[in-house]
Amino acid sequence: MIEFARDTYRYRELIWALALKELRVRYKRSLLGFFWALLNPALLMIVLTLVFGTIMRFSIDHYAVFLLSMLLPWTFFSQAMSYSVDSVVGNGPLLKKIYVAKLVFPVAAIVSNVVNFLLSLIPLALLIVLLRFPLHWTWVYLPVPMLGLFLFTQGAAFFFATANVFYRDVSHIVQILLSAWFYFSPIIYSLDFIPEKYRWLFRLNPMLYVLNGFRLSIYYGQLPSLYSAALSLGCGIAALMIGFSIFRHYQNRFIYYI
Amino acid sequence: MREAAVRVTFDNVVQRFRIIQERPDTLREAFAKFRRRTSYHDFEALKHVSFQVAEGEMVGIIGRNGSGKSTILKIIAGVYIPTSGEVAVNGSIAPLIELGAGFHHELTGRENILLNGLLLGLSKRDVMKRESQIIEFAELGEFIDVPVKQYSSGMYMRLAFAIATEVNPDILLIDEILAVGDGEFRRKCFERIEQFRTLGKTILFVSHDLGSVRQFCDRVLLLHRGELIEDGSTDFVISRYESLLSQHVDSLRTQAW
Repeated sequence: MIEFARDTYRYRELIWALALKELRVRYKRSLLGFFWALLNPALLMIVLTLVFGTIMRFSIDHYAVFLLSMLLPWTFFSQAMSYSVDSVVGNGPLLKKIYVAKLVFPVAAIVSNVVNFLLSLIPLALLIVLLRFPLHWTWVYLPVPMLGLFLFTQGAAFFFATANVFYRDVSHIVQILLSAWFYFSPIIYSLDFIPEKYRWLFRLNPMLYVLNGFRLSIYYGQLPSLYSAALSLGCGIAALMIGFSIFRHYQNRFIYYI
Repeated sequence: MREAAVRVTFDNVVQRFRIIQERPDTLREAFAKFRRRTSYHDFEALKHVSFQVAEGEMVGIIGRNGSGKSTILKIIAGVYIPTSGEVAVNGSIAPLIELGAGFHHELTGRENILLNGLLLGLSKRDVMKRESQIIEFAELGEFIDVPVKQYSSGMYMRLAFAIATEVNPDILLIDEILAVGDGEFRRKCFERIEQFRTLGKTILFVSHDLGSVRQFCDRVLLLHRGELIEDGSTDFVISRYESLLSQHVDSLRTQAW
């Protein structure tokens, strides 16, 4: 853990440059360039609001906000995973030629998606104002679930990037895992819809606590219980510790498999 | 006179690669192979290699393809960790192992200078300080703000060489890169290498071009199938290599008969 923090700090300039490169390349050759980072979630939100606000009506008030409060962090998670799983293998040609601290690639993959995610909160806040939905003061709590989310994603990224070096199937498995995980997380629905006797099963999902923090503070205007807040950070830290120690254990062997 | 510091030490270094016949790249293959044991053999790219390079030396490494020359440079650069033996490297390294390895085609020359400089271990401030010298050496002019995918191969090489040498390392690793580029570029590269030499830098130089080895190196290592078979003065080792080559040609001829 200390080693992770130290190396991330030591290579911060390189990580930042790699993350910027990823963003630049993603938006290069498009007329609106960087604006897409804002426009993409904004357009998605407009579609969702139209569909769920006028065409399909749910029993949940302001369903679009309800949905987006968890969908945006989820989208971050799933995009960051898709990027990072190939981060070591994809940079294989480089790693074979010069010595580079291997951790910079999974970290840069997360950092670039963090930038994207933070930008997507701007259109969300705008939408909330436009819909005359209250912009709760509990937004100030968001840094806590965000930290939990980022740490958790980083841990998972280390794990899957390592596994992908040894078995390339992992990048496909991650895609399937992500879509299954999406439906098992109460993102499009609420945990209240699940019969009481099955809820314990859903509570095993480490992403639940993080996602809950987002929905509580954006949609309900409430703060989570201390227990739930601690769990969301705890899951993040645990995931990072496990993921990073696996990555560290195997990283010297990567070169023979990429 | 003070004793020159030792920059690179190889002590009994073995680098073994496991060549797996059709290594299972996917899980399906791994399961399939699980029952009928994977077949592999170990290939020793370096067999108990020992040598030292002192500060200010320019050492050539020669040998036929696959003799382990590049493996030595990659171990010094830290890409491989040897299977056994001790390696000590004392000083900063700039690898010119493959020029432009860290370039990203969509980024401009200027953006690539920063990214590459950071990859080679410079800080952002150091890169910024050297940017104008790099651009000047690479003779890119206004092309510096154009994506490198639109560069000619000559421009690409010049930029990469300029970045790698502006890193100002203690130890420079050069792997066969000077074979490319036009005469003018080669002349500039050799000038810069000469300049490095006068500054007392340590240079390891892998090349098939015996002419430039003869021109630059004080000392040459000859590798043959992973073994260091000769380590000595340039003329002596090169003549030994030439006789080795002709022996090989002779043996091929006998086989053909």
